[in-house]
Amino acid sequence: MSAVLLPILFPLAGMGWALLTCSRPRVSLAGAMGAIAVAGAACVYVALVDHAGEQELLLPLSWPLPLAQACVRVDGLSAWFLLVIGALSVPVAVYSWGYMQAPGERQGVPAYAALLCLLVLALILVVLAADVVLFLVAWELMSLSAFFLVGRDDRRREVRTGAWTYLVATHLGTGLAVLPMFAVLAARSHSTQFSDFGAALASAEPSVAVGVCALAVVGFGTKAGFVPFHVWLPEAHPVAPSPVSALMSGVVIKTGIYGILRTLSWLPALPAGLGVVLLLLAIVTGVFGILHALGQRQLKRLLAYSSIENVGIILLGIAAGVLGRATNQPMLEALGYAGALLHVLNHAVFKGLLFLSAGAVIHATGTGDMERLGGMARTHPWDAAWFLVAAAAICAVPPLNGFLSEFLLFKALLVGSTALTPALSAASAAGIAALAIMGGLALSTFTKAFGTVYLGTPRFDTREAHATPMSMGRGMALLSLACVALGLLAPAIAPNLARAVQVILPDALPASGVVSDATGTLARPAGMFLFVLFIVAALFRFRAACGGRGAAVDRQPTWGCGFAEPTSRMQYSGGSFVDKLALSFRHVVPRRRQVVPPAGYFPNAGRMESATPDRLLTSVFAPLFAGVARACERCRPLQVGRVQMYLLYLVGTLLLVFAAESWYAPYSAEQVAARAASGRQVSTPAHEVRTTEGESNR
Amino acid sequence: MSVLRALTVLPEAAVVLALPPMLMSVIAKTKAWFAGRVGPPWLQPYYDMLKLLRKGTVYSRTTTWVFRAGPIVNLAALLTAATMIPVLSGDVLLGFPGDVVLVAYLFALGRLFTVLAAMDTGSSFEGMGASREVTFGTMSEPALFLSFVVLAVATKSLELSEMVGPPLAIAWKSVGPAMLLVAGALTIVLLAETCRIPVDDPATHLELTMIHEVMVLDHSGPDFAFISYAAALKFMLLGSLLLHVALPHAAGWGAVGVLLRLLELGLLAVVVGAIESTMARLRLNRVPLFLAGASVLSGLATAIVLVRSHG
Repeated sequence: MSAVLLPILFPLAGMGWALLTCSRPRVSLAGAMGAIAVAGAACVYVALVDHAGEQELLLPLSWPLPLAQACVRVDGLSAWFLLVIGALSVPVAVYSWGYMQAPGERQGVPAYAALLCLLVLALILVVLAADVVLFLVAWELMSLSAFFLVGRDDRRREVRTGAWTYLVATHLGTGLAVLPMFAVLAARSHSTQFSDFGAALASAEPSVAVGVCALAVVGFGTKAGFVPFHVWLPEAHPVAPSPVSALMSGVVIKTGIYGILRTLSWLPALPAGLGVVLLLLAIVTGVFGILHALGQRQLKRLLAYSSIENVGIILLGIAAGVLGRATNQPMLEALGYAGALLHVLNHAVFKGLLFLSAGAVIHATGTGDMERLGGMARTHPWDAAWFLVAAAAICAVPPLNGFLSEFLLFKALLVGSTALTPALSAASAAGIAALAIMGGLALSTFTKAFGTVYLGTPRFDTREAHATPMSMGRGMALLSLACVALGLLAPAIAPNLARAVQVILPDALPASGVVSDATGTLARPAGMFLFVLFIVAALFRFRAACGGRGAAVDRQPTWGCGFAEPTSRMQYSGGSFVDKLALSFRHVVPRRRQVVPPAGYFPNAGRMESATPDRLLTSVFAPLFAGVARACERCRPLQVGRVQMYLLYLVGTLLLVFAAESWYAPYSAEQVAARAASGRQVSTPAHEVRTTEGESNR
Repeated sequence: MSVLRALTVLPEAAVVLALPPMLMSVIAKTKAWFAGRVGPPWLQPYYDMLKLLRKGTVYSRTTTWVFRAGPIVNLAALLTAATMIPVLSGDVLLGFPGDVVLVAYLFALGRLFTVLAAMDTGSSFEGMGASREVTFGTMSEPALFLSFVVLAVATKSLELSEMVGPPLAIAWKSVGPAMLLVAGALTIVLLAETCRIPVDDPATHLELTMIHEVMVLDHSGPDFAFISYAAALKFMLLGSLLLHVALPHAAGWGAVGVLLRLLELGLLAVVVGAIESTMARLRLNRVPLFLAGASVLSGLATAIVLVRSHG
């Protein structure tokens, strides 16, 4: 039996176990989480060890599906995403054990366990599927299981709203873009196997290639959270249980990236203009995401917006790759894709950790409102350490993993700005400036988050705070370890990264060694990480040695500039911490501020409220969907409740179908093939036959 | 060459490590001269640091390990950056292609920990300083990176020691205006990042108006020595970067070049001292415009260099 089956079988078994033992929640949870952990470990094993020797592994599953045979395949790209899934699902499973036993979470534990197994199974199948049907089935399973997991606490209104927004958005993306894209691909290749798409599209006209790419960016981009298709993300991610938020932000949105990369691997070189459009989309997504994150007050909402930013960063790498392909710059292409893929893994690890930490904060204090927290570094020192590791990693500072992917992206864009034509170079330079400012804003956002929640004095009653259960701490510790290890040991997984990049590149490039050159550049910064850590350790030793015997260490209150009775409410709040930045960017992201100043000689009432609403949601999508709802209301008279009318509708629909069928019949694949076989227009591709026939018909 | 290099690298590293406080002394002497005073002794910053290293420490009761790690991580980040930034001779200890990005993010690492250590005290003043630091840091970031783009395009290299090396002398001839704009942008970045007038006044005694000084209010003893040294080191590193861009030396000047750089660093300190003696600081809400100006300068330089280098 192949090891590839393990990641599929274990979640299935876990789901069965969770459902069979649903009368005993703890047993059910333990079995299911154990199964997920084993499946995650198996994913990592398949990605790193089992797969290391062979380039590709195809495994036909012998359960018959309509239209196609189900096939799973592990190539470099799938293996990379398996690594991402495995790296996150093991800690999430460990964390869930403690998290689900909190007093507020005890209901419906077996359902949670089964759904989490289903989600992990669906994620694994999405990246392993080698044909359209299995891919779409897995894709849909993923969306639905995530929907039920997000809506777990459905007594709360915002949870229901978030879950439904997610469901609608993901189906709009799938229905309006992903399905049509696969329809085009299947029609072109007369096959539903992924392996046939590349050959069918190799000689496609630019318009078809651009069209397929655009559909992929819209359809998969809805899942990934590109602006303006991001609106579901800040609604759904914050309301989900924290382990689910971690999986959603860490892996589920990355399946959108996987879809785009997989599609790009089938497409021939795209025009450079499309690369520039993608670059601009990436800049808008990234800057929009981080500017909104900056203004948030709820920790998990802040993290959700920051996920949008990071998806923008990943898209920046993809755009660099597309630009490199269009202009025949292999180094730019390899660095761009490598940076994007490495950031997918890094973001899964540190954003997963951040969401788990947010869950620990909410578990401890009952609130995720940063302005009501503070000082948790003293009540929960280990949680603070894990959060700090993740925050530093997401700010891309050395010596953690986040730096390495941004390093590759900066390098790609620097190569782009030195090697391309002036206009394209200027686009690359704009990408660099955007990445730089995103870096600065991310640093501001996460110093705000860490500082307001963990530092200073508590703004909540510490006596009522709960300790973090050990398994939650273990889960977070695992991910922190991953942040450090992926930084220091990145050269060790560079070959895997190179194999993943090679799947996307045309066949000629991998042989030239440019990919391994690109991923090999990770070794030097990783070496410098050791240097930083060495100096830090040396300085700690030095400080311990300074001062000599007589040097006393004293503890005193914080210097309040002469004020003797500071209270926790006098601390700088998170809102004021970012006020100056938000003010500077108010033309990009408008703020809503309501101030009632204190008045009179003895003022006792005054209030100030500020918020950063998502204008795209409030002024574009909300009116749009309200309009759709009104239009649907107008259609209601059709539903008259009389059988005769319904029969009339049926007949009308049938007639319409016949009409459409007779119109399209001459262009159907069979007819075209038959004509081609009969000797007319043997060499003409099918689509051209259609157009000429269509014109002659008219 | 390599033997000679090995013989020169240690003395050079020693001079580079010993130099930063002296530059602070030059600034102080310049300001004293402008004010008609004698000023502190030349070695005063060294005395101060030695004294601080021997003193005890007072920690705020609010603080945690983050506060204690802050000064150390900041100094470690800057020391690591120092191995990749050419200071006196054009050579560096540990350069590699793409090290510009690492240098920029090492500065970010230092900032991250300085800011967190400030927030750890729970003081509203230090929160205020931290807020200003991240705001202005964010805004100087694009200017710095766009300057790197200009240097990369002008020298066709991604390694910092080559990007500011001898090829720049040619770049000054072919794309002089762009180099001038980059030098301008880097000057602004230097003044902002090292908290000098017109962005921040290191000599102010009103906590409400400070940026860097207010963030380190609660540090004492060896920690404060690390902070003072790190601030001076940062000034020297960014200053040398500016000097290497503004006044490129041709290859092969050897010892003359090193001495010239020492002189230039001294002159830079005099200029900064002169600016501090003759200018007032900007109002806080003007500073973002000043920093945006730096981004505009480097953006224009990017446009010039891209058009010229391909045309």
